[in-house]
Amino acid sequence: MARVEFRRIEKRFGDVVVIQDMDLVINDGEFVALLGPSGCGKSTSLFMLAGIYMPSAGELRFDDSVVNEVEARDRNVGIVFQSYALYPHMTVQNNIMFPLRFKGVPREQALPKVREAAELVHVGELLDRRPAQLSGGQQQRVALARALIKEPQLLLLDEPLSNLDATLRLTMRTEIKALQERLGVTTILVTHDQLEATTMADRVICMRAGRIEQVGSPDDLYSRPASLFVASFIGSPPINLLTGQAQNGAIRVKELSLPCSGGVSGEVTVGLRPEHMHFGDTGIPGRIAQLEPMGREILYVIDTPVGHVRILEGGSVAAHRIGEAVHLAFEPDATLVFEADTEALLPNARVLLPNGGAAAA
Amino acid sequence: MAIPAVPAAVTQTHWDRLAIRARWKRRAKSTGLYSFLIAVSIPIMLPYFWLVTIAFSAKRGVAETEVLWLSISILVPTLLAYWIWSIFARNIGQLLMGFLAVTAVGGAAFAVYVLPELHLRNFIFMVETNFPDVVRSRAGEVSGGISFPNVWQAFANSLYLAGAQTVIVATVASLAAYYLSRFQFPGRAAMLRSLLVLHAFPVLTLIVPLFLLLNFVGLLDQMLGVILVLVGFELPFAIFIMKGFFDAVPWDIEMSALTDGASRRQAFVKVVLPQVTNGIIAISVFSFIRGWEEYIFVFTFLIKNTNWTMSLYMFFVRDDLMGVDFGVVSAVGVFYLIPSLVLYVAAQKFLMQMSVGGVKG
Ligand SMILES: Nc1ncnc2c1ncn2[C@@H]1O[C@H](COP(=O)(O)OP(=O)(O)O)[C@@H](O)[C@H]1O
Ligand SMILES: [Mg+2]
Repeated sequence: MARVEFRRIEKRFGDVVVIQDMDLVINDGEFVALLGPSGCGKSTSLFMLAGIYMPSAGELRFDDSVVNEVEARDRNVGIVFQSYALYPHMTVQNNIMFPLRFKGVPREQALPKVREAAELVHVGELLDRRPAQLSGGQQQRVALARALIKEPQLLLLDEPLSNLDATLRLTMRTEIKALQERLGVTTILVTHDQLEATTMADRVICMRAGRIEQVGSPDDLYSRPASLFVASFIGSPPINLLTGQAQNGAIRVKELSLPCSGGVSGEVTVGLRPEHMHFGDTGIPGRIAQLEPMGREILYVIDTPVGHVRILEGGSVAAHRIGEAVHLAFEPDATLVFEADTEALLPNARVLLPNGGAAAA
Repeated sequence: MAIPAVPAAVTQTHWDRLAIRARWKRRAKSTGLYSFLIAVSIPIMLPYFWLVTIAFSAKRGVAETEVLWLSISILVPTLLAYWIWSIFARNIGQLLMGFLAVTAVGGAAFAVYVLPELHLRNFIFMVETNFPDVVRSRAGEVSGGISFPNVWQAFANSLYLAGAQTVIVATVASLAAYYLSRFQFPGRAAMLRSLLVLHAFPVLTLIVPLFLLLNFVGLLDQMLGVILVLVGFELPFAIFIMKGFFDAVPWDIEMSALTDGASRRQAFVKVVLPQVTNGIIAISVFSFIRGWEEYIFVFTFLIKNTNWTMSLYMFFVRDDLMGVDFGVVSAVGVFYLIPSLVLYVAAQKFLMQMSVGGVKG
């Protein structure tokens, strides 16, 4: 097991800077998720850890040693590629055994280990098959077994669930998390799916265009997003964003004026999460434009003077109809205000309901 | 809405009529197509067939056609019977029974009428080095001026020429194509383009400079000289084909091998090469056959008769005995033909895959 540290890491491909100024510490035994939209440099970061890419600048440390120039094969890192990257010409058994061949483990000692690793991920009865004869989920388990059999000091998972169907994704999510807890191996999960990151990892690293945007617990990212980007990336359905002008304790969004605390001024963006909004007697007036039943909850899209606003209400039967006039209320404590040009959170600012409809924070 | 009711019986016959018409149309179409294909392939097939018949049946040295017509008059009805039966057989059991019956009748006719005419005397060259003189004296002519080597010597030379050339082409093309497929380097695009341009050169245009070059470096009248020349001509296209195969190998299985502890060379040998075996087999077969049938270069660059290849041997047999004994010339032809035929048949499966798996820019 290892503690991993990025110190001012930069990665360029030719003139294109893909990773910039990355500083990050991942503690021994921790399960972290690298979260970000496609193309933001998650896989590149992972491949630097695996030794496939060499950082262009900065220091990459495992425990207390700089490993920038250590070759991939000497790092003892287990990696599950997005495509699983099983060796098509080998049976499952030989796929899983492959890493042991280079450690000089004799076959008779390797075989029980292979069986053990295969049992661990429930592919024990598939040892004689070839990858092409396996389903996506089975291929992924084999890839996991192959990564785990070398008892890696670091386990890297590159979008491991993205090629699975929804049900299987849920199962594997639970299984991978349980496995990680049991083995205690330092694990880095790469994903573009915020739900995957927040449900599986102890800590989430949110990336944007080659930079780390925020590092924190899933709750930190949800409740106290450092930036507009994180706020809009985390949460489903996505947060409602209203851009307006703050002045004299109120934010003016189009013709609507929302009182606010925290002494803000200038152009700001207000973030209101759909799940923190509800119908009220007063508040933002609007008309229901659309409703989407989502099982236990219903998502309403409301036409308001400030544009479309989504709100989430509990219950499986819609209490309102399309076209109905409503007022939208929200909890001031859960509101977020961002500076519009820097997109940074104004931590003390809160938005209150118009017309004094709710108590101030 | 009033839809006029159509009596069930009427629609029934209607559909039946349409089905019958479609069936006849289909049959007429396939009959036309097959007739056309057969008509076109007769002039292609006939010479091969004739070659074999003459080699095994000619007795008097002149162009005899009795056995040819005899065997065709058995073969053609047999094939026709197969075809007609395959159209009318209703299930696989009937099909096999019919084929068995046709084979029995055809085989019996062959045994009775053709078999007694066949003999191996035209293959005298396989045991008698000085066979042209024997054949000539049989025909009452004086001996010719050419001294022939043992046919097995020529066979071994051809095997050596084609085999060595194949090994070099397959090895060099695999390595070069891998590099071209995987690595960026200055001039890569120009190199890829020149691969095809090189292949466009008619080989004869270079025969004078190559003669001088070989003479200069002392490889004239040596097998190695011709082998190197052939390798030079074969390589560009082989590299191009192999690059297509390497391009189709996913990048991440190679990276996976590296993180599993393999060196670059081990990853190439154990993981990448097994994915392109079909390509290697394909270029090997083509190179071998190219070497086996090579004529211009061996004719120009090899002089001693102990250096003769099968093509030269064939050429001089034809030169010496054409008009004296067609039977012996044909027998040499059959002997020369068999190895490439065997190779093609054996490798057919892999060659077929080439058009599917490989070749893309
Ligand atoms: N080998 C490479 N050469 C050039 N550019 C690359 C290479 N690998 C990745 N990139 C670029 O780096 C950026 C980040 O890629 P990647 O790390 O794969 O993103 P992610 O995994 O977050 O989707 C992308 O814009 C991609 O085009
Ligand atoms: Mg990626």
